[in-house]
Amino acid sequence: MGVQKDRVRFNVGGKIFETTATTLAIAGRDSLFGAMFDENWDLQPNVTSTEHFIDRNPDCFAVLLDLLRTGELYIPSEIPEKLLYREALFYGLLDHVRAARCGPFDGNRLHLERSIMGRAPGDGTAIRAGPDGGCCVAHGSMVHVYDWMLEEHPPISLDYQRVNDAIWIDSESIVISACERLGRDDGGMGLFSASTGELRYKFHVTHDNQVKSYTGGALSFNSDYKLFSSCKGRSNEYGIGVWDQVTGKQIDFFYEPPGWSLGDADKLQWLHGTNCLLVATLFPRKDNCYISLLDFRDKNMVWSWSDVGAPATDERRVRDAIAMEETNSVCVVNEYEDLGFMDLRSSAGIVRWSSRSRLMKGKMPDEPCYPKLALHEGQLFSSMNDSISVFCGPDWVLTSRLRNSHGGSICDFSIGGDRLFALHSEENVFDIWETRSPPIV
Amino acid sequence: MSGGQKKRNFQIEAFRHKVVVDPKYADKTWKILEHAIHEIYNHNASGLSFEELYRNAYNMVLHKFGERLYSGLVSTMTFHLQTMSKRIETAQGASLLDELNTNWNDHNKALQMIRDILMYMDRTFIPSTHKTPVHELGLNLWRDNVIHSSKIQSRLLNTLLELIHKERTGEVINRGLMRNIIKMLTDLGPSVYQEDFEKPFLEVSANFYRAESQEFIECSDCADYLKKAERRLNEEIERVSHYLDPKTEAKITNVVEKEMIANHMPRLVHMENSGLVKMLLDDKSEDLARMYNLFRRVPDGLSTIRDVMTSHIRDTGKQLVTDPEKSKNPVEFVETLLEKRDKYDKIISLAFSNDKTFQNALNSSFEYFINLNPRSPEYISLFVDDKLRKGLKGVKEEEIEVILDKVMMLFRYLQEKDVFEKYYKQHLAKRLLSGKTVSDDAERSLIVKLKTECGYQFTSKLEGMFTDMKTSQDTMQGFNAAHGAELGNGLTLVVQVLTTGSWPTQSSNTCNLPAEISALCEKFRSYYLGTHTGRRLSWQTNMGTADLRATFGNGQKYELNVSTYQMCVLMLFNNTDCLSYREIEQATWIPSSDLKRCLQSLACVKGKNVLRKEPMSKDIGEDDAFSVNDKFTSKLRKVKIGTVVAQKETEPEKQETRQRVEEDRKPQIEAAIVRIMKSRRVLDHNNIISEVTKQLQSRFLANPGEIKKRIESLIERDFLERDNVDRRLYRYLA
Repeated sequence: MGVQKDRVRFNVGGKIFETTATTLAIAGRDSLFGAMFDENWDLQPNVTSTEHFIDRNPDCFAVLLDLLRTGELYIPSEIPEKLLYREALFYGLLDHVRAARCGPFDGNRLHLERSIMGRAPGDGTAIRAGPDGGCCVAHGSMVHVYDWMLEEHPPISLDYQRVNDAIWIDSESIVISACERLGRDDGGMGLFSASTGELRYKFHVTHDNQVKSYTGGALSFNSDYKLFSSCKGRSNEYGIGVWDQVTGKQIDFFYEPPGWSLGDADKLQWLHGTNCLLVATLFPRKDNCYISLLDFRDKNMVWSWSDVGAPATDERRVRDAIAMEETNSVCVVNEYEDLGFMDLRSSAGIVRWSSRSRLMKGKMPDEPCYPKLALHEGQLFSSMNDSISVFCGPDWVLTSRLRNSHGGSICDFSIGGDRLFALHSEENVFDIWETRSPPIV
Repeated sequence: MSGGQKKRNFQIEAFRHKVVVDPKYADKTWKILEHAIHEIYNHNASGLSFEELYRNAYNMVLHKFGERLYSGLVSTMTFHLQTMSKRIETAQGASLLDELNTNWNDHNKALQMIRDILMYMDRTFIPSTHKTPVHELGLNLWRDNVIHSSKIQSRLLNTLLELIHKERTGEVINRGLMRNIIKMLTDLGPSVYQEDFEKPFLEVSANFYRAESQEFIECSDCADYLKKAERRLNEEIERVSHYLDPKTEAKITNVVEKEMIANHMPRLVHMENSGLVKMLLDDKSEDLARMYNLFRRVPDGLSTIRDVMTSHIRDTGKQLVTDPEKSKNPVEFVETLLEKRDKYDKIISLAFSNDKTFQNALNSSFEYFINLNPRSPEYISLFVDDKLRKGLKGVKEEEIEVILDKVMMLFRYLQEKDVFEKYYKQHLAKRLLSGKTVSDDAERSLIVKLKTECGYQFTSKLEGMFTDMKTSQDTMQGFNAAHGAELGNGLTLVVQVLTTGSWPTQSSNTCNLPAEISALCEKFRSYYLGTHTGRRLSWQTNMGTADLRATFGNGQKYELNVSTYQMCVLMLFNNTDCLSYREIEQATWIPSSDLKRCLQSLACVKGKNVLRKEPMSKDIGEDDAFSVNDKFTSKLRKVKIGTVVAQKETEPEKQETRQRVEEDRKPQIEAAIVRIMKSRRVLDHNNIISEVTKQLQSRFLANPGEIKKRIESLIERDFLERDNVDRRLYRYLA
């Protein structure tokens, strides 16, 4: 900092503020203050006045200066949030504001921040949290994108075909997979800019050196910039495709073995520790459930489980599955929200059901939604009807339950960017749950 | 009318909307920013208002002129970089780097300031349009307009390579400047550094070191060459740490290793009068360590050293164990082996950083050549015998342990451990019976070591011998207490009662003891059998000793320490002066070979010849006559008359021991076969052989022919049978 004295005087929109260079240093080099006081600029207060003039809103400046001084964000009710965010963006302090807004994610300390009504008709199909607090909601053939300020950006569609899955590759890019349109190169998968909604490129499937149209299903990606999707093509292109996220080129295809299901998969999950992909096809998409782990390095199915041949009772019917690498197990859930566990180290295919509660039986709402599972930093989340249960500890005990009084059953939820998003099926509305900031003392 | 009213309203709204956007606004604002960028490049930024510029850039982005701002930035910056490029081109010779460095620093500073002004664009417009961020853009433009300009690119590379060449040939160059320029290249991205510098640098280096290594190897010996190679390697590592990218270190050392070491390995190792063998011979551990550390860096480097070392140890070892001169003195033989091992142990620990693979090579080499000489087990036992008899006098306990550990090391190499056991037993028996053991602790310590090495079975008999010695002491105390009074001061008898089987059995022809001793022996016999019923005693007169008091003709009195046989012979001369060989033989019944040896030691050893022989010759003849040597004198009062025994076994003795070893092996092989067949039930011939060999290898290397014989013997005795269908299969018969 090139200033001689520690004291700094600002005139912001006619109002005088005094602070110290030390406080401003907290803003970091990549902010207006960081640049302003860099020695390159050799900034001397005007000869006539001893203050720096900034032509901005003084009320917001006061809030932001307080943030720099204390690390806490307190927004007076008369300042709209949006206004504050705009000013923070000007100063380059948006990251500071975002970080101060809420505490680190903890499933047991969530509170409902707000609910957003969507304007699209019909039911939502999927909601996906972005890495920096935004989200996208798939409705039929459209995907609506919201940033962390919950400002809506231009929506995304892939030739207006029905969307099956969406995934945030990074905070700027979303990949969506959609149904194909007969005889046309429509549908499939595309990568979009989250902020402008423009299509950057499509992912193609080539079979025998011919580009084929296909239906993209569940999506996943790994840290090597590989993108995975379950695919259904016209002629035998059933299986899991692998693409390079950066170039959009197809690099691999795992064909579905006879008597098994990959191309119809509902869920893909990349396992970083074991370098494998979990592929789960679940009832009712197929009559039976198929869960497998694929190792792409030697094109090998290293673990698999199916309920083919098992008595098809509803209590035993798997509705969602998630791999938990820490415990080398796969967690599954039935339609009564009973959790079951399978050991990934054995191929015995035995599900240990923890018959936690059968209270749900017989009390199904008019429009039931099947359970969904999510895992976040050692906490397991399971949605059932209009609530989300949080399980913790080695024995996965129920520790919290999240419920919002309106909107009906939850058809999908997603965790990311220190937020939990829950999408309701009856009304077109989604909830944002956040962890409260830690207490002052 | 009302419809027209509405229409007007629409027009007014449209007009109002247009008013906000001043068509000249973007141009005006950009002019301000463009001017600022010019000023920044011209070192004239002090008059600029940061707040105003920041606000202007913000407003351009806010009013959707981001694209205009960005393209304006690109063209303005390109213009300045082209100017800089022209300026740099004009620099003469090596001042190119200085000029480049100055302009690079200016550009960097300007870039930082431009980025400060355009921060808002960098943060919002650029990510959403997927454009290159300002800083990266600045670097890319510098790369394209300056570094890759046709008039600079090759000149820059040549200047850099030339400076490095100068430094390699001993000149001092400006390392700081080099570091700055290299840093610039790495800042421009790894591909720029690699393509525009690293690749050609590695190529030029390879050529340089190829030529230099050729020159070195022609005119220096191995050690000098290695020193030079090491110095070059360190120089390159140092160069990288001073001004190159750290990632280059592995690559350039690779080049030096390949050109200076890998390409010349065989030649270096086998260099006459200075290669590896010479270094080993001269214990040049410093040079060897250098060779190890350098060769370790290249593929197959260590195995090259190891192979040469192994074949050298094997060759010299083979020479050593097959050298008849060395075999003459077993103690020296073993000492040479130990020296050799110490030498290589030291080399491996000092020069080869205790590399396990080298230790293994050393061990396998020793195992190879020690077993080339079938007498090695005997010699090692003799060496131990020598040490335990006298060699350890005045030696500290820890040092004894060290020597014993070394012996055990050699013992481990032996394939025929049972042969060693045989000899060791014999030697131990002699030591114990003649009371020649120097240290009981050392004896026991060695037994413990053998036990840990080969198991309880191996040493149980040896331990039995020690027990016998202890029991005998107690027995003698008892005997003396019971009969001591009646014995008076005349004769003292010390009897050691040995358990049959524990001791090396010797064909025992009891000799005819002198009457007075014979009587005393009878007393002991009856005492012993009185206390221990059901036992049998037989006298092993060939193993005893006696102390005699003798008065010679000249009145001189001496105390003679002799063997039992010698005592019997000498006692005969109490009654007569002269006896013939035959008379002695008849009187004593000593076996002739022993008698001859015994007489030889009494009559033919200079200074200890208590008897006189007629005729005077070295060998004993059947017709010789013996008489007391009245002229016998000695400086000492006590005279020890040893038996002339070949320390080493004679050829027939050796054969006999060998035979006994072979006999002992038979039951062991049979036991192993039965053990294996009992658990396997059915097994084919080859597998039996290999399993038996494996089971027995801790004791000896079983001969397949012998195993086959044992199998046949077991078949005869109905322990095994051949399979009816497959004749190679054997079945166990329970």
